[in-house]
Amino acid sequence: MGTVATKLESAETLAEYRAAARERAARIDRVVRVCCGPGCIPKGAREVYERFVEAAGELADGGVAVEPKLTGCQGLCQRGPIVTVDPGGIFYQGVKADDVPEIWRTTVVGGRVVERLLYEDEQTGVKAQTAAEIPFYRGHHRIALALCGVVDARSVDDYIAAGGYEGLAKVLTAMTPDGVIEELTKSGLRGRGGGGFPTGRKWRSARNAPGEPKYVIANGDEGDPGAFMDRALMEGVPHAVIEGMVIGGYAIGSSDGYIYVRDEYPIAVERLRDAVGQARELGLLGEDILGSGHSFDIRINRGGGAFVCGESTALMASLEGRVGEPRAKYIHTIESGLKGKPSLLNNVETWANVPQIVLKGADWFASFGTEKSKGTKVFSLVGKVTNTGLVEVPMGMTLREIIYGIGGGIPGGKAFKAVQTGGPSGGCIPAECLDEPVDFDRLTELGSMMGSGGMIVMDEDTCMVNVARYFVHFLKDESCGKCTPCREGVAQMLEILTRITKGEGRQGDVEALEGLGTLLEDTALCALGKTAAHPVLSTVRRFRDEYEAHIKEKRCPAKECPGLFRYQIDAEACRACGICLKKCPVEAITGAKKTAHVIDLEKCTNCGTCFEVCPFSAVLKV
Amino acid sequence: MRYRMPTVTIDGRPFDAEVGETILDVARRNGIWIPTLCHHAALEPYAACRICVVEIDRGGWWQVVTSCNYPVRRDITVRVESERAQRARRGVMQLLLARCPESPELADLARRMGVEATPYPKVTEAQRNCILCGLCVRVCEERIGSAAISLAGRGADRAVAAPFRLASEDCIGCGACAAVCPVGTIVVRTHEDAGEVEISPFKSRVKLRRCAQCGEILGSELVRRALGARGGPTVVEILAGGDLCPRCRRAKQARELAAAVPAGAGSGTASDRCG
Repeated sequence: MGTVATKLESAETLAEYRAAARERAARIDRVVRVCCGPGCIPKGAREVYERFVEAAGELADGGVAVEPKLTGCQGLCQRGPIVTVDPGGIFYQGVKADDVPEIWRTTVVGGRVVERLLYEDEQTGVKAQTAAEIPFYRGHHRIALALCGVVDARSVDDYIAAGGYEGLAKVLTAMTPDGVIEELTKSGLRGRGGGGFPTGRKWRSARNAPGEPKYVIANGDEGDPGAFMDRALMEGVPHAVIEGMVIGGYAIGSSDGYIYVRDEYPIAVERLRDAVGQARELGLLGEDILGSGHSFDIRINRGGGAFVCGESTALMASLEGRVGEPRAKYIHTIESGLKGKPSLLNNVETWANVPQIVLKGADWFASFGTEKSKGTKVFSLVGKVTNTGLVEVPMGMTLREIIYGIGGGIPGGKAFKAVQTGGPSGGCIPAECLDEPVDFDRLTELGSMMGSGGMIVMDEDTCMVNVARYFVHFLKDESCGKCTPCREGVAQMLEILTRITKGEGRQGDVEALEGLGTLLEDTALCALGKTAAHPVLSTVRRFRDEYEAHIKEKRCPAKECPGLFRYQIDAEACRACGICLKKCPVEAITGAKKTAHVIDLEKCTNCGTCFEVCPFSAVLKV
Repeated sequence: MRYRMPTVTIDGRPFDAEVGETILDVARRNGIWIPTLCHHAALEPYAACRICVVEIDRGGWWQVVTSCNYPVRRDITVRVESERAQRARRGVMQLLLARCPESPELADLARRMGVEATPYPKVTEAQRNCILCGLCVRVCEERIGSAAISLAGRGADRAVAAPFRLASEDCIGCGACAAVCPVGTIVVRTHEDAGEVEISPFKSRVKLRRCAQCGEILGSELVRRALGARGGPTVVEILAGGDLCPRCRRAKQARELAAAVPAGAGSGTASDRCG
């Protein structure tokens, strides 16, 4: 990619480098952006990209200069792989490798649109030619993801041409460390990893903390089920994270940076490593960056495969090569963190916001969001929602706007039941709260939390007791086992929840769960344990009737827990085809030609085979 | 400004404290009992068992903290006997009782805390009757310097074990782990027939050293070697009395003394006094 790197010795040489990169970009007639984000890669996006590269190679002398770009996540994962063609911003979805020749002929060379690959609204049937016409993209405002999906994820030249490292140049030439911290404080940025602690205040404490050296760390150990915000950022705009960290190092007086990346994100590891290498070659990392006297370098550390390593003290223990277990934070990591030295740890998304804030100013950033939650937040919208994908919206947008406006509502005509936010530490928010604004404080008041930005939508077929059981099971597996309440208490909670979902719940089980919840909150060592009961407590609070139905009536209202509902054949709908009769493994179904079939409940084992095989949806859950 | 010692107020009684002490230090010095399990004065605080939790005033709200590692930095107001603190400690104890129903030591401590029984079934057991306080692991690493055992596995599967759950090659058979175990789970067993000492349940076995004279067991062979390497032979010889058991050593010293002192010099013979 790009030219042979030369060390950029000043902000001016960086500006010249940028101008040269832009000039090269201006000579390109067509840019084809192939989304190779977390959602598109498994659907074959890389092959699509490679086909475009081959085509571009063959056509090198054809007169039209085409540049295929491998980009990070472009957002609408549900319809991936996504390909956009500039000029015009033609938006293609569901692109297969075999579609490439047609896109090439028609759009890249011919300048016309391939109708069949356009986004089509499921309800109205209206086709959209560009992203801006698609409801999913309305209301988006990209700050952290500003260049994700736009620039080639592997190219530092692309990042620089798009304005990358301009924030860093501004900081190093025109701002004092205190000035940077003030700007950040004024912006109102709060930690995007889940805690929501004011970033400026954290940086101030880190700057004031006595002790040398100081460390700057990026937490890329994203592990919440359904969350891929940080993965998208690290894969799509690794340089934004790096740029933010160099600025952080300047502000607090540190020259040592670490990025702790989840090892299950091999593409992120590779991108970050390459990006660090590129930045070093250009002198954007290393000694005397842009001639400012500020030196800073970054090491990439791959995580050890434990969810708890996303916790600050466990992360630092893991960085030191020890077992990733948390310790007490009575003395904060800002004072005594990595190797006992002052350490500034921020989430990947927080870091990615920093260059934009210093470049465009605190006031600009603070113009988005609510009173106490400024800016935007990246969410991964998943679950029972029509349009799953990566969303970045201003804080304060309502859940309804996100789930129905952007997400397109619940598929299959089902009713919305709840949205789970905040990962295993968060909670479930019910339908009556859909018009609540999404910000740090409001979500906490609703009994959930912002967390790192996972948003799992659930419909009427989702059993809330089972949801709680799922998260508690996850946490039982991920508890490090160091402290008693988390190791033993979470296992006890799982025992009770499993019992309830099997129809063996007892009177007093809900109260026992609440008691364990309080105990964990009071006595567990780290945040994993302290919040481990949140999925339980929030579902008890909002869906107590479902718990009661399981325990008292041995009935699962969502008809999800096996054994807590029955299968019945609707005599009206049954066409007596005999399929269920043949497939039933215990011969519980009787019937004859032209006679509606019947399930013998004495023999039925609730395996669900008849429900799955019936071609007429005549088997009902009751 | 003159330096003033911080005051730690525990259940309404003020006590002077040094900066850097823990709440538990202050409480113990002043005769206030807080139960502990994973704490040992000779080891770094670990704060894993959570049985020592107390409440502290955070200015408008009360936070539950572990007293064994909460450092005194300024004046603190502490509640040890408040309802919330007691409920928290008892809740933790109930969980531990479910894990280790067979330990009389744990049952004794539970009773002292006012916990008679546990409402929970036994659901976790990676190791029989072990509360996973980690004292054995830490004494072996921090004090003995062997690190023969460590905490293996995660969460509910956590257990104290030597590498690969085999007998450890680094165990010197000193028995320090057994000495610090608060629930009597680790036991030192001597196998006289094989001439070995075993640290149970880790299956580590080490050759026994016997008294050169009477054949009485002196302890692990490797402990002597380790002590020799650490303190030098003279200290070891004095402490261990050479190759002899304490009784044979006394007898030997008596004989040597009797030979050195002329007959009739004292009011009796050495053998009169020492038997």
